[in-house]
Amino acid sequence: MQSDGRSPVLELKDFSHTYLEGTPRASEAVRDVSFRIHHGERVGIVGATESGKSTVVDSFAHLLRPGPGQVFYEGEDVTAPGYNRGRLRREIGIVFQRPDSQIIEDVVGADVAFGPTAAGLSASETRERVEESLNTLELPYPDYRLRYIHALSGGQRRRVAIAGVLAMHTPVLVLDEPMAGLDPRGRKELLELLLTLQRERELTLIVCSASLTDASLLCDRFIVLDRGTVVMDGPVREVLREADRLSELDITLPEPVVGAREMQKLFPDFPTDVLTEDELEVELLERLATS
Amino acid sequence: MLELQRNVIFGQFVETGSFIHRVDARVKIAATFVLLVASFLIDDFLGFAVILPLLVIIGVVSKIPLGYILRGSRFFLAFLIFILAFQVLFYPGGDVPESSYLWRWGILSVSTEGIYTAGIIALRVILLYYVTTMLMLTTSLVDLTNGLELIFGPLQRLKVPVNELVLVFVIAIKFVPIFIEEMERLARAQTARGVPFDEGGAITRARRIGRLLVPIFISGFARADTLTIAMNTRSYRGGRYRTKFRQMHASPSDWLALTLVTLWVIVAWMV
Repeated sequence: MQSDGRSPVLELKDFSHTYLEGTPRASEAVRDVSFRIHHGERVGIVGATESGKSTVVDSFAHLLRPGPGQVFYEGEDVTAPGYNRGRLRREIGIVFQRPDSQIIEDVVGADVAFGPTAAGLSASETRERVEESLNTLELPYPDYRLRYIHALSGGQRRRVAIAGVLAMHTPVLVLDEPMAGLDPRGRKELLELLLTLQRERELTLIVCSASLTDASLLCDRFIVLDRGTVVMDGPVREVLREADRLSELDITLPEPVVGAREMQKLFPDFPTDVLTEDELEVELLERLATS
Repeated sequence: MLELQRNVIFGQFVETGSFIHRVDARVKIAATFVLLVASFLIDDFLGFAVILPLLVIIGVVSKIPLGYILRGSRFFLAFLIFILAFQVLFYPGGDVPESSYLWRWGILSVSTEGIYTAGIIALRVILLYYVTTMLMLTTSLVDLTNGLELIFGPLQRLKVPVNELVLVFVIAIKFVPIFIEEMERLARAQTARGVPFDEGGAITRARRIGRLLVPIFISGFARADTLTIAMNTRSYRGGRYRTKFRQMHASPSDWLALTLVTLWVIVAWMV
């Protein structure tokens, strides 16, 4: 999805990172990772646990000790000395795996207002943003504004965390395992919300997950990581065609793909790049008709 | 960015497979105890000078890089200097002869006696810190727990809840690195939201760390809760009813090492 010849939004060039480097407890997280993400793309960074997804996410907003390799945002090297990191963090919104870690204030309204206030917005603008973000996430502003965050349920806290990031109106939105701990309805709602937001605000959306179930409906491209290196990178269907390899990498496949792999026992040429049950059905009917 | 785990190594265990790592935990705890007693008995610089080579040997044999220990003690050393400055400045001047005052202003003063006392205290605290840190760096949590339980086991006859006490002690120590990791994670997430933990002077940074305290406490209670449930569901009960899968064995070289440490300490005390 190369859009209009602009430089990529994010680019990692031979990026490597080792936690606690130079100590006896050093552990290598990613090695020589390179990829480009363009404006308006919906990218899934997928891989099993310990594959380096979260480290890659942290690198986007320069949250790690600088190491080998470069990270570019809008063509500028963010690891260069003197780079305006404050601005970078106002443009890349990250929703972390555990929402509790990024909640700063005690009360819902104050927490969502934190980002806009820190970015120097006026009180009335901030209020508007808070109201808009909370309503978008179906936490009605008048009801939730003064609630204590620690008294909310896990799913609600996650939505507060997302609202806090949305209120920043960042052009890039990164979500690390956004669906973890949500019930099927909550997942469906969040999926639809993210797709709508992405369309309306022309966001660059990056989603990290060990499961392709929701990511395959949300993204148009997958970058697959395995033990800290990129092993596949391409359009969703192209990656899904290698379902056997994905499954070897301990990545949870979407249900239609699981079904398609079962079908391969009957029809060895059955394609695995099916995104929905309807597509699976069409393929199956076609084969049943011919056989 | 904040990599707090570099700066606080208290409570961590680093496996290097060295001789010290393999020594029986009970022997290590006993040797640590001997050195702790030494830190109270020795009261002149000569004694500490005699102890120093022993500490160097322990450090070298353990194969844990000195740089790692020093960097990991940064906060501790900063705190120590802060305390010592007070010790020197507020040294009670009752028995200080007028000639040994180097500087005086109101109740504040710097005297040679003050500096000498502060120096001895510093060496004592460093010895205490070094020895306990080395014990934790070289002994896994399981060994530490088992060792302490076996050493204090006989007290159970006197109705002392040894297992419970040891468990509380070990959990307290083990929670330190977990908290440090948690703080690191919180700091990273908050930085992403616009609290610049990696910018500003020392005081602003310290004030930002204050912001982490409430979430740390909350997650601490949550963790303690989870641990309790986990222990209950596995029917944990301490004490005589438990048998150990792994029995501990002290080899002759372990006893030799302990004897050597004890003799060394006695020599340092006598000189």
